[in-house]
Amino acid sequence: MEGFITTYGFLMVTMTLQAMLALSLYLPLMAGQLSLASPGFYALGGFVAAVMSKSVFGFTNQQVFPLPLVFVEMAVAAAICAVVAILIGVPALRLRGIYLALATIAFVEVVRVVALNLEITGQAIGIFGVPQPFSRSFDYMALTLPMLLLAIFFVYRLERSRVGRAFSALREDELAAAAMGINPTRYKVLAFVMGAVLAGIVGVVNAHLLNTWNTRQGTFDVAILVLAYVIIGGSRTFLGPVAGGLLLTALPEVLRAAAGIQGLPAPVAQFLQDGRLIIFGVLIAVGTLFFPQGLITPRMFRRWRAAHPQPAAARRKEAQA
Amino acid sequence: MGKHDGPILKVEHLNVNYGAIQALRDVSFEVYAGEIVTLIGANGAGKSTTLRALSRIIRCKSGTMTYEGQNLAAMRPDMVVKAGMAHSPEGRRVLSRLSVYDNLTLGAYTRSDRDGIEADLEQQFKRFPRLAERRKQLAGTLSGGEQQMLAIARALMSRPKLLLLDEPSLGLAPIIVREIFNIIRELNDQGVTILLVEQNAQLALQTANRGYVLEAGAIKFSGPAHELAVDERVRQAYLG
Repeated sequence: MEGFITTYGFLMVTMTLQAMLALSLYLPLMAGQLSLASPGFYALGGFVAAVMSKSVFGFTNQQVFPLPLVFVEMAVAAAICAVVAILIGVPALRLRGIYLALATIAFVEVVRVVALNLEITGQAIGIFGVPQPFSRSFDYMALTLPMLLLAIFFVYRLERSRVGRAFSALREDELAAAAMGINPTRYKVLAFVMGAVLAGIVGVVNAHLLNTWNTRQGTFDVAILVLAYVIIGGSRTFLGPVAGGLLLTALPEVLRAAAGIQGLPAPVAQFLQDGRLIIFGVLIAVGTLFFPQGLITPRMFRRWRAAHPQPAAARRKEAQA
Repeated sequence: MGKHDGPILKVEHLNVNYGAIQALRDVSFEVYAGEIVTLIGANGAGKSTTLRALSRIIRCKSGTMTYEGQNLAAMRPDMVVKAGMAHSPEGRRVLSRLSVYDNLTLGAYTRSDRDGIEADLEQQFKRFPRLAERRKQLAGTLSGGEQQMLAIARALMSRPKLLLLDEPSLGLAPIIVREIFNIIRELNDQGVTILLVEQNAQLALQTANRGYVLEAGAIKFSGPAHELAVDERVRQAYLG
């Protein structure tokens, strides 16, 4: 067990963080907005944590960083990301579909290039020796697992709230939603800001976990990867992105582990080892072919509910809420 | 402002452009409380554009729109709904992946009186029994006529004084169309003022009190519906 945790602790924490990143892309998607801006806010959050812990709080790599200060960084990152998201969201959300995706990718690039040139973000070298609140990677689970559960609970409640229903109306038909008196701009910006805040908070934790932060975090590649989490996992329920984030983060390491299985013919082991990213890509392609709606679909929920009927009174109460 | 002081809706010299193309030119008309007024005209005459301008979904270039003494041009779409004007858009536009129930509650989005909403829901289900049977069904799985009923019921959920109906007969079987128009008359009897846009001019003029004929973005004729229905020029152009 100890060996497993040492080997896979980092991976498990990363899985929870990536699942949250997937949720940060899912949030604007709830309102029908395909935004790929998450990695930009994630990068921003990471820089906030790296700069604050080293320069503002003055901790070094040798010291244990107090957990409450991580929460302070999260609050600051959330505030900064929210402000930036409003500034970008108001003009960018006038664009639709693929054009919004392109504009948000541009934002990710802008963040990267700015960080590459600013003194405070360490330019091309980045920031090293970000102090850590935990000595072992696995211990971060104490922080990230409750965070993930909280994020899941938040999105679950959101989908059933008044705001969530406005989001789904916008996702279905913006004109009809406007005709019903739902203000499209307000709710689109709100969904975009919520996604930005979540991505920024994930960046904060990841900067501590990685011990370093630089412009290679939160790039275009990450945007595509996170989009893959949502598409493979399923984009029509909040559990889809979570499942996609967890599974696709684990997959390359699972393939690596598979290469180490005793008794495999040497060429097969070799391919699993060196070609695991090829297999990863093929599995993504095959996944979209066989699960065009993603692994987790709303229909699965309906079937489950049909098989486990609730008492009518409880159901009516839920419908009213 | 009392009901008898003047029209509930007054549009004057309305101009709307789509880019360089002028969709409405100098359109003026009025609707009095309790009336059914219809805008008829060919495809592309600007009927839907007029309704969209009124509910503030599209911007207008110039002109005034006054609803119960309030300047519509200064309002956002949600404020218009709150003020008591609801729009059932062309092509029904029900939210197909949401249930009938969810579509209806979203129609009451600008309201917060829970009990009133609950009562109005029951009223819609009484008015449209077919929707009651299908309250948990996804709206996209309804037939065209049922979707049109849902679109009207959804608009009614905001408790409008003035209901804008865009092409309620579009793509429906004649028997369903008759059913829908009976409901429109019934609503009017219950005190809802109606501005009806239709391509089916004959049916619209049978139902309405007054009518306006739009042609290429401008109002060509207007008058009592029964007079328009027998007007030789209108007959030739729209009634065949």
